[in-house]
Amino acid sequence: MISKKGSSTKTNKKKSLVSRKEFLQIAGATGSAALVTQLITSGPLSPDAIQGIGERTHSEVGIAEHSWCMGIDLSKCIGCQYCLWACQATNDVPDDDMRWNVGHPERTESGTDFFMTRPCLHCEEAPCVKVCPVGATWSRKDGIVTMDYKRCIGCRYCEVACPYDVRRFNWEISKKENLYQPTWGSPEVERRSRGVVEKCTFCSHRIDRGLAQGLIPGIDREATPACVNICPVNARVFGDHNDPESPISIFVQNNETFRLREDFGTKPNVHYVRPEKEEV
Amino acid sequence: MFKFDLSIPKEGRKRAWWIWIGILGILLAVGVFGAIRVFVKGLHVTGLSDQVPWGLWITQDLSSIATGAGAFTFSAIVYLFRIKKYQPIARAAVFVGFLGYTSAMLALAMDIGRPDRFWHPLVYWNVHSVLWEITWCVILYSIVLVLEFLPILLEGKYFDRWPNLRKYGDLIHKASPIFAAIGLVLSLLHQSSLGATYGVLSGRAIWYKPSLPVMFILSAIAGGISMTLLLTILVGKLNRRQIISRELQYDISRFAGYALLAYLYLKIWDWAATSYYSSSPGTTEALALLQSTTPYTRTFWWIEIVLGGIVPAIILLNANFRKNDRFTMLALGAIIAGVTVNRWNVTLSGLVAPPQWSPGVLGNLITVSYLPTWNEIIVSLGIIAYALLAFSFGIKYLPIYPKEKETVH
Repeated sequence: MISKKGSSTKTNKKKSLVSRKEFLQIAGATGSAALVTQLITSGPLSPDAIQGIGERTHSEVGIAEHSWCMGIDLSKCIGCQYCLWACQATNDVPDDDMRWNVGHPERTESGTDFFMTRPCLHCEEAPCVKVCPVGATWSRKDGIVTMDYKRCIGCRYCEVACPYDVRRFNWEISKKENLYQPTWGSPEVERRSRGVVEKCTFCSHRIDRGLAQGLIPGIDREATPACVNICPVNARVFGDHNDPESPISIFVQNNETFRLREDFGTKPNVHYVRPEKEEV
Repeated sequence: MFKFDLSIPKEGRKRAWWIWIGILGILLAVGVFGAIRVFVKGLHVTGLSDQVPWGLWITQDLSSIATGAGAFTFSAIVYLFRIKKYQPIARAAVFVGFLGYTSAMLALAMDIGRPDRFWHPLVYWNVHSVLWEITWCVILYSIVLVLEFLPILLEGKYFDRWPNLRKYGDLIHKASPIFAAIGLVLSLLHQSSLGATYGVLSGRAIWYKPSLPVMFILSAIAGGISMTLLLTILVGKLNRRQIISRELQYDISRFAGYALLAYLYLKIWDWAATSYYSSSPGTTEALALLQSTTPYTRTFWWIEIVLGGIVPAIILLNANFRKNDRFTMLALGAIIAGVTVNRWNVTLSGLVAPPQWSPGVLGNLITVSYLPTWNEIIVSLGIIAYALLAFSFGIKYLPIYPKEKETVH
């Protein structure tokens, strides 16, 4: 005997254009087609992905004969914050909480007030590079620690590993208007998408483009990081540490410099001059 | 002696079951709502920040994996070392492990910024990253768990209609020793590496020590055994039956006690070596900061060491206490709580007291704060509800435990 419920579904079945079985077949076929398309266009079977199998880093980028370094003279710095703003305009970082370059008022043990600033230190032994599970952060041959935003999965292990707090995560889609543009510069790189980590690049886009045009980063403004260019008192210098004539080599030679927390073993590529420097 | 009676009279059972399932269903639904909200709005609805980028979900991920460690422990004991007396609990261990690992994956999928790129570590390799190794191990081990769980699933009543399928299930089951061996290797690797995730970071003084991976694996073994046994005793109490023999129960309790003792031994020495007999500038600074501004020093001593360590070790290693089911269950629960709090403390202590990189002195006494938002909490509860729902249905419909032989009244 057929129950009332059973018979009603039976009549429904007759009325419908496609049977349940057919519906499932169509849905299944569409679903798997979509999945396969996803797999071969942007998923693990895409040409990009297959090419990347086993590839740890992008280290072939950047020319090994250079070693880009920055110098920051804390005794010269007047705390105007222009470097932070120029960075935000150039690299399109609208949110003050996401600054790649940070700065805050500080005081030495002996009571001298100064303004502490730092970009990413582009460590030679960068903890963030070692820990990234997908090699989305890597050290270029020229010493710049940079990122592939298309590879980043947003696990934030690099933020956990970095002892200098230079990493920033895109917690939401940033639609904010960048108030530092155009006063402090115009955007030269694309704004990052939600869910990936970002960081200071030493304005590598300027360096790469500049070198291609035969310019010298650290001397020619078009090839020099925005924060270095904007500084009104030349507290920041930049250049190739392999070139003894470069501004950074001269800076390190003429000053007693130190690097932040060398005890971490990270070997940063940013050199500082103490705030209470005695004029020689 | 205490009489510990959790069982429900027969008339009330069906109602109690549906109330239980109803509560879990609501929690799960609320959790799904929370998850959708996170996917739509982004991770800024969490309490996380660039200074404390890991919080509740990572703790849940680490704890679920730790308390799922019973699977590899018992699989190895039963199928590899062939100590057959533990057989009656092996299936439950695999099932709990499976739920633990799937819960961990759900928590991780919530936590990473681009869950659609979860497969990237498989394709883009960075062999120098412990997290890369962990991803591989966890994915491979989850496949092992599925294969270990499949024969149990195929034995379920529903699969009576496909006898051929069940044959494959039996075939897979025959390979159990192989899976047990692979599972043992993978688990020893990633359970320790989860501790190494923190232990290798030279820039974070509190974390940077070789003892963390070892403490993670030892606490996982203690926590994994405890979770499996606690759930087994609980199911027995609710169904008025003794699922595994009392001898076996005492045996496993003692085993958990010894595992805990090994963990405690290392933990005390770790503390003594890093903060009592020696002091390195970074560690001392950070610990002093934690002690003055956070509750983590207190939760370490009271919850991790006393409540989750010494007390349950005494209960489980004392023959008289062990015979009292109420004490045993409290001890097992305390171990699980201790391991969970440990994962929270390890994660948060290194983050809220960040290393000082400025050459000045103004920023030296600042801790960063983190509190999970309601959105994070409902998602976490939803994941727990998923695990409990799956466990409840599994116990009801699948041959997880040996068939009823004796009933206790």
